[in-house]
Parts: sequence; structure tokens; C-alpha cells
Amino acid sequence: MSTKHLLKSHFDRAAGYTRNSSNPLFALVRPPWLFMAPIVALLLFMFVGPMLAIVVFSLQSGNTIDPNPLGWTLAHYAEIITGMISGTGVYGQVLANTALVSAATVLATLVVSYPAAYALARKIKRYKVVFLLLLIIPLFTSVNVRVFGWALFLVENGVLHSLFNLVGVGEYPSLLYNRYTVLFGTTYVYLPFMLFPIYLSLLTIDDVTFEAAQDLGAGPLTIFRKIVFPLSMPGVVIGSLFVFVLSLGADVEAQILGGGSVFTMASNINYSFGYSQNWPLGSAQAVGLLLITIVAGVLILRSLDLREIASRGESR
Amino acid sequence: MSANTPRLSAPRLRAGAWYGYVLLVALFLMTPLFTLVIASFYDGRFLSIVDYAFTLHWYEVAFASTSIQSAFLNTARIAVPVTILSTVIGTGGAVAYTRHEFPFREQFKLLALLPIFFPLLLLGLGMSLWANVTNLGYGIVPSIIGELVWISPIVMFVVSITALGVDPDIEEAARDLGADTVTLYKDVVLPLIADGIVSGAIFAFVLAWNNYYIVSYLSGAQSTITTWIHAKMTQGFTPTVPAVSSLIFYSSVLLVVVVALFEYNKSGTGEHE
Repeated sequence: MSTKHLLKSHFDRAAGYTRNSSNPLFALVRPPWLFMAPIVALLLFMFVGPMLAIVVFSLQSGNTIDPNPLGWTLAHYAEIITGMISGTGVYGQVLANTALVSAATVLATLVVSYPAAYALARKIKRYKVVFLLLLIIPLFTSVNVRVFGWALFLVENGVLHSLFNLVGVGEYPSLLYNRYTVLFGTTYVYLPFMLFPIYLSLLTIDDVTFEAAQDLGAGPLTIFRKIVFPLSMPGVVIGSLFVFVLSLGADVEAQILGGGSVFTMASNINYSFGYSQNWPLGSAQAVGLLLITIVAGVLILRSLDLREIASRGESR
Repeated sequence: MSANTPRLSAPRLRAGAWYGYVLLVALFLMTPLFTLVIASFYDGRFLSIVDYAFTLHWYEVAFASTSIQSAFLNTARIAVPVTILSTVIGTGGAVAYTRHEFPFREQFKLLALLPIFFPLLLLGLGMSLWANVTNLGYGIVPSIIGELVWISPIVMFVVSITALGVDPDIEEAARDLGADTVTLYKDVVLPLIADGIVSGAIFAFVLAWNNYYIVSYLSGAQSTITTWIHAKMTQGFTPTVPAVSSLIFYSSVLLVVVVALFEYNKSGTGEHE
């Protein structure tokens, strides 16, 4: 009891003292700085540091860092860029594959999740918690566990095969290990990242808006085109950016479901780090991914209004 | 409500179609997980639903295996500290961001939430290089610090949403009534955002429990459940893999359902359908 009071009085004295003093060191033990300090320290050490390490490593000639910046080299960037321009190396192919997989994933997740998000936000009233749970649970299960589940489902003599056998279709081309399976995998894994932003943006539309539009004689198509779609745009944009960036880094999907049939940026980066032990080359490729991620991340966070999400949760 | 006139059948059909579609999407998302659970009880090396026979054998094998036991133990050794630390760190960030005005507040939000939007592959790679440069090394402790980078921002996000729903005037009222700084946070702010903190903590645990990319780059020689599963998938499959995968799935479901019921009860008390 007494120690608690003692601590309290110390703390208050410190707080009172700092309120009247301009010593910045004392100000640091006062909220909000006290509350910010742990997360800022953590991220500076283990987030900003590692990202800088990728950039610095991309300029090295070996797997150790040369402290003298005069010895740094742009050779890896040159190798990648000339490889892409001449079309001889794998880089052009890899970049095209990756961009194609990511863009197709965005499109596929958008097409599948938009009607579902709309139904959840506006049509489904009963058992809504159950539906939300079924959609959320996979997000909280390890990516490689889920991808492995699909492999078991699709593999020869697996679930799908025996289902086909039951209905009498004996022969069909193997569904594992081709580029469409990779796309299927990324669509599967990143679907919730498209669904939930759209769902949240559709929740904001007031029911009165619909009634007013109907009273003014708008048909379902007009309502969708003029009201629903424009108002869901923030969700569509955030979801698309999120899915695009995350699927750029998709590695397990390509490894397990693609079985090496499609080389993506992520698998190529991994290869440079793992098998060929060429950290600078891997880093140079990762820098491209890093830049795209930072731009997309900042764009998402700029357009994300936490206050608005909080008020939506309350009005529900 | 109970009137079942044919006049209602067309809209009812349309409503049914919406439910049906969402159910299909939910089924799509759950299919691999159901497959794993079915496979884990299957009596044979490769799964076939035609000559299916139920067995608990693979669970017994999994529980008896020392390599699986140590993988579970390592996963717990990482997940428990990550849960506690990320809850403290994330709540701190959320309280600072939502309850205070300060210079560079938006820049703080950008930095603090940015890791959520990073592909885990990129985070893992960078951390692996960094662990090498700084002599942090590889193992349980580096894995804990690494997972904190991704999970603390998620906790901060969850707690912030709750904290933004709390009226800022309450704090001022407490101060006017004579609450000092410690009392203000202990008796007023923290209880008001407790629901968000509990949800954030459970999410933190489930995500730490299931993390693959970051631990695979930082755990070094220590294997966790997800790295164990990955190794078995890519080299030398055994039928215990579905059983082990199902075990971590069951625990995740349990915890996510707890959060959902918790949130549902909270919102259910005040509202009407």
C-alpha cells in the first residue's frame, strides 16, 4: 500500500515537474510519449532496421556488409534491369508472372467477394455472426496449413478425385502443379482481405439513402451504379491494394500448389537467399517489392479512417 | 413474420440466394480446413473418401512423437511472450494515438500500423539479414521480437477501434474530479477499453501460434509447429501432418469463437433486431 502511494507521488511529482519544465528528457516519461516509446523502439529496431538492411545488402558485392560506402555496387540492379530489357534472363519472365498473378488475384477476389460483402452488409440479418465467423476463422489459421489442406483436396487420389469417381468421372487432368492452381491458391488466401474492406464500406450506406432513391424512381441497376458502387469505392481500392501487395509476396502458394511450375518474384527472392546463397541479389529483388509495399501501405493507411470504422461498429 | 403466403415467395427466394452465395463463399474458405480434419481421422496413408475408416491413430502418433512435442513447446514458448508483450506494446500505442494530441501524430500512426500491410515474406527476409548484421542471432528470442513487429500493430489497430468509441470528455471529467495520472489510466481509461484489449490479446495469441514466415526465417535450428508442417510437406510427408495441422486449427477456432461470442454479447445487450 505504502509503496504504491510512494510511487504515485513520485510519478505525480515528475508529471507536475515536467509540465512546468522544458527538459525534453523528463517529458519522455509523460503520456503520450511513455505509451508510444515501446512500439516506436520496437519498430525502429526490428522493422526499420531490417528494411534498411535489405537496401544496404542490395548494394554489397558479397554476403557481408562493407562499412565503406565507396565499395558499394549497383551491379545487382544492373543485372536485373539489363536482364529484363534484353529478355534473356529469368527476371523479365518472373516480373511478368508476378504482376499477372497479382493482378488476376485482385480481379478474382473482387468478383467473388463483392456480392458476398454486399449480402453480408445489407441482406443478411439472421445468423450473421455465424457467417462472419466462417469467413474470419480461415484468416486465423496458418497460411501453409490451409494451402496444405487444398493440396490434400486436389491431389491425385485425394478428396476431389474420389468425389469425381463417385459420380463416374474417372479421367480428368491433374489439378495440382499448374499456374491456374497458383492463382486459385492466392485467390483463396487473399479473398478475406478484399471482402472485409468492401463489407465495411458498404455498412456505411444509410438505409434511408435506398428508400430515397426508390421514392425518386431509381431501379435496382441505377441504385447500384449511382449509389452502392461509388460509396463502396474506398473499400474496393483498399482491398485491391492490400490483395495486390500481399499476393506479390505469395510464396507458399506457389511452392505447394504450383510445385515450381510458375516462378514468381517471391520464389525467386527465396531462391537467391536459400539455395544460391546470393544475399545481395536477393535483396536487390526484394527492394522492388519493398518500394511497392511502402507506397501501397501508406496509401491504404492515409485513406483508412479509424474513427469512421469505430463509429460503424457502434451503429451496428 | 410467421405468415407463409405465396405472395412472399419471390423476395424470399431472392433473400435465400444471397444467403446461399455467402454460404458458398464460406464453404470455399473452409474446404481445406475440413479436408484436413477429415484426413486426420483417416485410416491410411493417403486420403480417399471412398474407403474411409475412422481412426485416432495419427493423433496418438502425433502426441507420442518427441519432435512434435518439442515443436509444440517451442511454439508456445514464442506465442505466450508475444501475446503478453504485444498486448502491452499495442495498447500503449493505441492509447497514445487515440487519447492524445501530439506533434507528428499521423506520422506515428503510419509507422506504427505499416507492418500490417507488409508481406510476411519481406518482413522475414529483412529480419533474417538484420539478425545476422546485429548479432541478434536466431532462435526463440529473435522469433519473439520478430513476431512482435507484425502483431503489436494489429493489437494497436484492434484496441484503437475500441478506444475511439470512448467519449474523450470522460477523461476530462475524471481529471476535474481529482484523478491523478495513474488513477486516470488504471481506473478510467483501461477499464473502458478492456474489451478491445482482451480481443487484441486473443487475436495476438492465435496469430503468433499460426505464424509461419517470420519464425521460419528467425527460429534457426528450433522448429515450431508451422515450420515442422512445412518441412514435412515439402520433404517426406507423413500422415501425422493432417493431425498436427488439425490440432492447431482446433485451438484457433476455439479462441476466435470466444472473441466472437464476447463481442456479440457486448453489442447484443444494447441493440434490438
